[in-house]
Amino acid sequence: MPDPTGTFDAAVTGIGMVTAAGIGTQASWDAIRNPGGTAASAVPALDGTPAPLGCWIPDYDANKALGRRKAWRYDRSSQFALTAAAEAVADSGLDPGDWDGTRVAVVLGSGIGGAASWEQQHRVLLDTGPLTVSPLLIPMLAVNMPAGYVAMQHGARGPNLVTATACASGTTAVGTARELLRRGVCDVVITGGTEACLIPSIITGFSQMGALSGRRDDPRTASRPFDVNRDGFVPAEGAAVLVLERAADARARRARVYAHVSGYGASADAYHATAPEPTGAGAELALRAALDDAGLAPDTVDHVNAHGTSTPLNDVAEAKLVRRVLGERPAVTSIKGVVGHSLGAAGAIEAAVTALTVSRGVIPPTANLDSQDPEIELDVVAKTPRSARVEVAVSNSFGFGGQNAVLAFTRA
Amino acid sequence: MSDTYPRLVQLLVDNFGFETDEVNPDDTFSALELDSLALVELTLTVQQEFGVKLSDDDLDADSTLGQAVEVIEQKLVAA
Repeated sequence: MPDPTGTFDAAVTGIGMVTAAGIGTQASWDAIRNPGGTAASAVPALDGTPAPLGCWIPDYDANKALGRRKAWRYDRSSQFALTAAAEAVADSGLDPGDWDGTRVAVVLGSGIGGAASWEQQHRVLLDTGPLTVSPLLIPMLAVNMPAGYVAMQHGARGPNLVTATACASGTTAVGTARELLRRGVCDVVITGGTEACLIPSIITGFSQMGALSGRRDDPRTASRPFDVNRDGFVPAEGAAVLVLERAADARARRARVYAHVSGYGASADAYHATAPEPTGAGAELALRAALDDAGLAPDTVDHVNAHGTSTPLNDVAEAKLVRRVLGERPAVTSIKGVVGHSLGAAGAIEAAVTALTVSRGVIPPTANLDSQDPEIELDVVAKTPRSARVEVAVSNSFGFGGQNAVLAFTRA
Repeated sequence: MSDTYPRLVQLLVDNFGFETDEVNPDDTFSALELDSLALVELTLTVQQEFGVKLSDDDLDADSTLGQAVEVIEQKLVAA
């Protein structure tokens, strides 16, 4: 049985991705590994708003991915989750027709929930009255529904939940999924995150906070983490799903293992609604907790998949934290230069990419890093992918509300 | 010849993901895998399409499309 006081490795045995970089894990990885800039363009739904730019996925066809008879019932955030989950489960080699569903859990993260359906139905309410509002509004908007639908898709009858820690939600989900495996309450967890809220109300809200990039005339250069000319994040949609199993179980069935999730740490800044605590003390608690959980010393970390949002405040605060705790050794990257910031999905997409980085020995570069901010004293991978044997990697996520979550990965 | 049936089928095609040749007048809604929430949604779209008022149980799971056409046409006459 698992030992709650010792170290614990959860094996990543399946990955599925739907991102602005590509639909499917291989397509996403290829575009993240060799970036051609930010995968952003003007979003038609945001026309007329102060920030019409986003990393959206125009080629995603829910009817094709999920079947025409089912797709209409789901909010786009659930559609992404179902598509990524189907890919991840198939990739794991596990057969949902064969497994004991009572031992399969689902833990997904989402920051906002089905806001597009909510906004659309609110318009219906105002325009044509209450008797015309869809009876599917609640199952479309409720933030828990992506996990519920993934359970129905795969007969997963174990613990089922959605975590909400804003931009850390996906990371919190993967960390929580690992805890379920460690406690022995399930044998398989389908975990990750999803987000689809490129809609006028939400994006205008972010714009009014001053959080978004203003580079609307040059979308491919808009997200530029750690660059001296960064000016805010580019909002994104997407999902990633990972299949986790206990490492011993994965070995026993000779599964292909991308990497181990070996540590998880979480904390709160207890400081401010949106600004990171300036000393990074809250984030440091989560980073150190993840390393302690994995039984790893800070000087063993080879690679950091940074939160790296491309906002002026985040990137400096995160860089100072990494430098202080991990030193100058790790090769750092932020894939948000390519895929933008998908809020509650971001941590899951970054967990998937970190597992692929460890597995393939290639660190993707940070897109648009033309001139590194002198305040960021880190080895940031720029321009081209770097070949490296990565034994230990960490993936940081920091959410509004001061919610911090960090995962530690090791080579399988 | 009434156009109510083809218009009903078109609603199923436009809003519920069916192909025209997937449905027949003898199919019940339950055979088409339209559950209670989907039937409420269909009731709303029928009301908008035909300009009639339906109650919650005018379209039930055991109704066939042909029976639904009769219900709609009765409402149209009464309107």
